[in-house]
Amino acid sequence: MTDRITAAAAGQAGEGFLSLKGLTKRYGGFAAVDNLDLEVPKGELVAFLGPSGCGKTTSLRMIAGLVPATSGRIVVGGQDLTEVPTHRRDMGLVFQSYALFPHMSVARNVAFGLEMRKVGKDEIARRVKEAIALVHLSGKEEHRPGQLSGGQQQRVALARALVVRPSILLLDEPLSNLDAKLRDEMRNEIRDIQKRLGITAIFVTHDQVEALTMCDKVVVMNQGRLEQVGTPVDLYETPRTAFVAGFVGRSNRLKATARDGVAEFAGESFAAQAGLSGPVEIMVRPHRVALSAAGADVTAGDHRVSGIVARTIFAGDILQYDVDVAGQIVSVELATRGGETVLQPGAAVSLSWRRQDVFVYGAAA
Amino acid sequence: MSAAAAIAAPAPVSDTRRSGLALVVLLIAPIALVNALGFLVPVLNLARMSFYEVEPTGAMREVYTLATWLTVFQDTFYAELILNSITVSLGITLLTLVCSYPIALYLHRSSGTWRTILLVLVISPLLTSAVVRTYGWIAILSDSGLVNNALSAIGIAPLRLMFNKTGVVIGLTEILMPYMILALLAGFGRLDPRIEEAASTLGAPPFTIFRRIILPLTLPGIALGCLLCFVLAVSSFITPKLLGGGRVFLLATEIYDQAIVTLNWPLAATLSILVLVIFGGALVLYTRALRAIM
Repeated sequence: MTDRITAAAAGQAGEGFLSLKGLTKRYGGFAAVDNLDLEVPKGELVAFLGPSGCGKTTSLRMIAGLVPATSGRIVVGGQDLTEVPTHRRDMGLVFQSYALFPHMSVARNVAFGLEMRKVGKDEIARRVKEAIALVHLSGKEEHRPGQLSGGQQQRVALARALVVRPSILLLDEPLSNLDAKLRDEMRNEIRDIQKRLGITAIFVTHDQVEALTMCDKVVVMNQGRLEQVGTPVDLYETPRTAFVAGFVGRSNRLKATARDGVAEFAGESFAAQAGLSGPVEIMVRPHRVALSAAGADVTAGDHRVSGIVARTIFAGDILQYDVDVAGQIVSVELATRGGETVLQPGAAVSLSWRRQDVFVYGAAA
Repeated sequence: MSAAAAIAAPAPVSDTRRSGLALVVLLIAPIALVNALGFLVPVLNLARMSFYEVEPTGAMREVYTLATWLTVFQDTFYAELILNSITVSLGITLLTLVCSYPIALYLHRSSGTWRTILLVLVISPLLTSAVVRTYGWIAILSDSGLVNNALSAIGIAPLRLMFNKTGVVIGLTEILMPYMILALLAGFGRLDPRIEEAASTLGAPPFTIFRRIILPLTLPGIALGCLLCFVLAVSSFITPKLLGGGRVFLLATEIYDQAIVTLNWPLAATLSILVLVIFGGALVLYTRALRAIM
């Protein structure tokens, strides 16, 4: 009882409901997850985002207790769960492959967790009905998983995980096996349900769109390490590392050389980290670049470079130019409004962008 | 365009279907022929032979009579023989299942080179004949064998492990284990580690996962393995003959004795047909069980 109260108090103080402290998983000499520190406040939906093999799924599996941590602690609501076996952790996990019990009906699948908790028969019946209604599958109670579509199976998996009212809902790439249309639908549905129930949730994905559009916070991981934690806006507007800038949203990555904190590219100087020297990457997002025909009135912008259009791609809503600037390609995306002149390859153009849209990172050796 | 396609469509479809059927018939024909010549004809022959008359001298006459069948149904020796065969074979099947299940489960979960090595180890006994393996068991189980020597060394009275049911059960269980393991493995397809993990996250402790998830999902494999081993146990005669030492009476050994020693072929044929009936019963039970499981 006291635990619960402290947990609630901790939640209000803005501390993490789920805290990972130096969480590490080593396989031989290889660190799949390396010293992960993270605080997740109660009721938030947090994405673990990264390329395959970045350690996001391993982290999730450690939280669920399916993979023992090499070192570090997992604390939920003030209670250290690091040594607690999976079946006593009270977490709900939704798998990419659904992992429904094929020999049980939808209703039996959903009831399983409640039966394990020795909930009374009447209450099981009531809560199973509620959970199935929550995921819009009423009427399918007696179907076997094999008789349902992928989207329906994933809804059953969601209902099965939610019906036990887990302390944390863990979602392991739950949308990856669904087709594009269903994915959009499920994305909104999972978000709605999560908000309505106010449940703390971790969402593992390699899809930055999923992470940005669904989640309160995004944890970007790469090679077992945490790159950056922040709101979707933070990550997009102020990526802290070259990896985050490259992984979240699209970026132009221009090779350049820096000397004493100033990078030079196409005759233009860019402010880099103080004292930074050597090879660097200058990043700017394609739709933050303004383009005008050479000789025309130059658009406002802190940085200006000139180049030659190498390729023109008209995609309806977006007009993309790949512009050759000092031997490197800078992509420019312009929203079409109708009536603009489409420049052909070979046209001389000048590009400009604002200082806050440029990021300069030391290039990896 | 679409109307024309709709009209034109049925012809090519039925054409492909007809040529598909022809292909199926063509592919099945060789095995159908082999089965007809090698299985159906001999069985029908056996059935006919079971109605032949046996003269007091033991000679067989091609005159039809129900005498042999009546003897088999009236003499309690044969009822006991059948019952004995079924119960001993069921016991062997169960013991084989219990011994093989953990091995099959472990094999199912292993991977890579280790799995290949283990699979080869499981299959390798099949490369030696059952006769050789039975003699191996004699060396272990006989009165002056490995087990009894070890027992007497620590001062325990020797056990009768041979020339009785115990010996037959031990020997056949070991001989049938590779078949059981392979059948179980073949039936473990629905077992998925993610499903077990899902059960675990929902609060199921390990034994509950076994009882509620693993066991039900492996029932098809269990049914298949049990059918296979039961059939093999009922029909095996070398191992019961050698390890039973003529003191364990089973259908297969009795058929062998009647056919080869006593030369009462009608009786051997009758008992053989009874074995077939038992197999038919086992098959019916198997399909029933499978329907109930799936």
